[in-house]
Amino acid sequence: MATDVDGRRPGRFVPWALLSPGTLWLVLFFLVPLLTLIRQALSSKPSRFVPAQFSWEWSNFGTALSDYGPQFTRSFVYAGIATLLALAIGYPIAYFIATKGGRWKDLLIGLVVVPFFTSFLIRTIAWKAILQDDGPAVGLWRVFLGADARILSTPMAVVGGLTYNFLPFMILPIYVSLEKIDFGLADAAGDLYATPLATFRKVILPLSLPGVFAGSLLVFIPAAGDFINATLLGSPKTTMIGSVVQNQFLVQSNFPVASALSLVLMGIITALVLVYSKLFGTDGLAA
Amino acid sequence: MNDDEMLRQAIAHSRALTRRRFLRNAGLGAGLMAAGPAFLAACGDDSKDSGAGGDAGGGESETTTAKGSGSADNNDLYHANWTAYLDEESAGLWEKSSGKKLFYSEEFNDNNEYFAKISPELGQGNPIKPDIITPTFWMAGRLINLGWLEKLPVDRVPNAKNLVTSLVKPSWDPTGEYTLPWQSGMAGIAYNAKVTGREIKSIDDLLDPEFKGQIGMLTEMRDTLGLLALAQGIALDKPTFDGFAPVFDVLDKAVSDGQVRRFHGNDYMDDLSAGNFAMCFGWSGDVVQLSKDNPDVKFVIPESGGTLWSDTMVVPKGATQLDNAASWMDFCYDPVNAARIAAFVQFISPVQGVQDELRKMGGDAAVAADSPLLFPDETTSALLQSWGNLSEDEEAKFDARFAEITGN
Repeated sequence: MATDVDGRRPGRFVPWALLSPGTLWLVLFFLVPLLTLIRQALSSKPSRFVPAQFSWEWSNFGTALSDYGPQFTRSFVYAGIATLLALAIGYPIAYFIATKGGRWKDLLIGLVVVPFFTSFLIRTIAWKAILQDDGPAVGLWRVFLGADARILSTPMAVVGGLTYNFLPFMILPIYVSLEKIDFGLADAAGDLYATPLATFRKVILPLSLPGVFAGSLLVFIPAAGDFINATLLGSPKTTMIGSVVQNQFLVQSNFPVASALSLVLMGIITALVLVYSKLFGTDGLAA
Repeated sequence: MNDDEMLRQAIAHSRALTRRRFLRNAGLGAGLMAAGPAFLAACGDDSKDSGAGGDAGGGESETTTAKGSGSADNNDLYHANWTAYLDEESAGLWEKSSGKKLFYSEEFNDNNEYFAKISPELGQGNPIKPDIITPTFWMAGRLINLGWLEKLPVDRVPNAKNLVTSLVKPSWDPTGEYTLPWQSGMAGIAYNAKVTGREIKSIDDLLDPEFKGQIGMLTEMRDTLGLLALAQGIALDKPTFDGFAPVFDVLDKAVSDGQVRRFHGNDYMDDLSAGNFAMCFGWSGDVVQLSKDNPDVKFVIPESGGTLWSDTMVVPKGATQLDNAASWMDFCYDPVNAARIAAFVQFISPVQGVQDELRKMGGDAAVAADSPLLFPDETTSALLQSWGNLSEDEEAKFDARFAEITGN
């Protein structure tokens, strides 16, 4: 192999060259927007109709935190409940497909993905029709909770919408994790007199945790920033932080506060993810 | 009627139902609310309309519904208007008579959203692509104050003499140099008589605890606040933030008591026919259309009064096609053409003589000619008020407080 005068191989730069498309992508579509957002969040706007000026305006973050506490709390609580529900619904489905799917596996996974062929928005609007006040779903509900009970425009509808919309993101990674498990291990546990429950708890569940970890992140992160479900299925009392960001940007033209809100949301999510990965181990990401 | 004709009528009908305002919800950006109805409507059309409503209203967008033979980059005139706000024939007729290429785009989804989109360019003195845009009057007033509009070549729009007098030199454009009206309409109460079980007449009915959790209000701030203000005897011609404090209090209480179920843009019609709303604030033309399918749905101007709004044609600073813009405006103000447009959009035409032309057209158009919602009689007119201009600071305060109450 040829060497240059320093005795270094020219191939030394090849890895960097190979990395460059990815690096360029990250710089252009992550770093630059992020820096723009930070700059905007530290700007001030004397009037709504003049461009914001950079001025180390830290008070935007103060406003973001002090004025929108309820919306932040709601976002994380709703997203948290939706994640747990998606796990409770998604895990058994993934487990069933992985273990009992047989030759129907591909079809069943296909069915999980099929709703994605329709727009997110239309699927959410469809829930409005299903849950309408004089519809059958609410009719049943009213038998138990009285004639004035409703589902639409309540936190339940919002959390339900979030769970429904992000459920496939939970099912797919868990399915992949379960699919990789050698179920001979379960047989071995059974041979060693483990009950089916103990086998699940000590063998299958730990081995599928990477999928649970990935699935939880894939559901929680977009759910926390979502505003469609809260807007379409909720009421003025169920607003999530995504709607506030949208309103600040598009209605009030208050780009600095909107940017600060976005950064705070990003910061909280990052912190939560770090804590979560500390608890469950980052090897979970290898799923 | 052959299949093509049936399909065309079905599409026209579904468009008319969705109306231009179906995206008006400031709470949802980017064509989101439209995707449902518009998507379905678009499914039936084979060419130009694919993806209508799926776009944020981008001036450069290929996916917005367009009429005329021009394109965003190749045209003699570019008019950005609201969805379903022009019939199918007019664009072609003007092109034939003028020999020019029109790019008529239905990209105007929401005043604030559109403002957010054009302000970076116009704010720095750069032109934007459209030659005519169609903001609602208060947004037109804001654009005039910011100096972002060209003066209109009014002398080259001879048919402007046909305009109704109330829209000549209106309050938002006192010199009449910058805006010409497109269509007007009114906001009032839309209700489902089957759910209310009684006739609805006033804002008191709307705030009646009997209907707790079954009330909708518009995200369009001026309409919601205006209707509540009129009920308290507060006039709309010189609005101040302090003067509106009692109105905000009423709204705040209605929201915190759970009286208001949700704030909506144009997506109230489904909620109304489904019975989710017993009543809500709505726009005249929309409800007229809806009541054709569901006779239980009614529109009423509250006893205390309703709001009257106008959408206006303005030319953004730096636009070059002033002659063609004048020619197109002139075309639209010809009573025959204006009647064709009014028959399709079902709002109040700014042109005198439209009523007679509609009668001549016969059929549904003749029915429209006798509707007080398209042609307000004296009693109706007496009930209507328009908003005066808000200064920049005042408007910011209004917007912030309104956002706070609506949960944002």
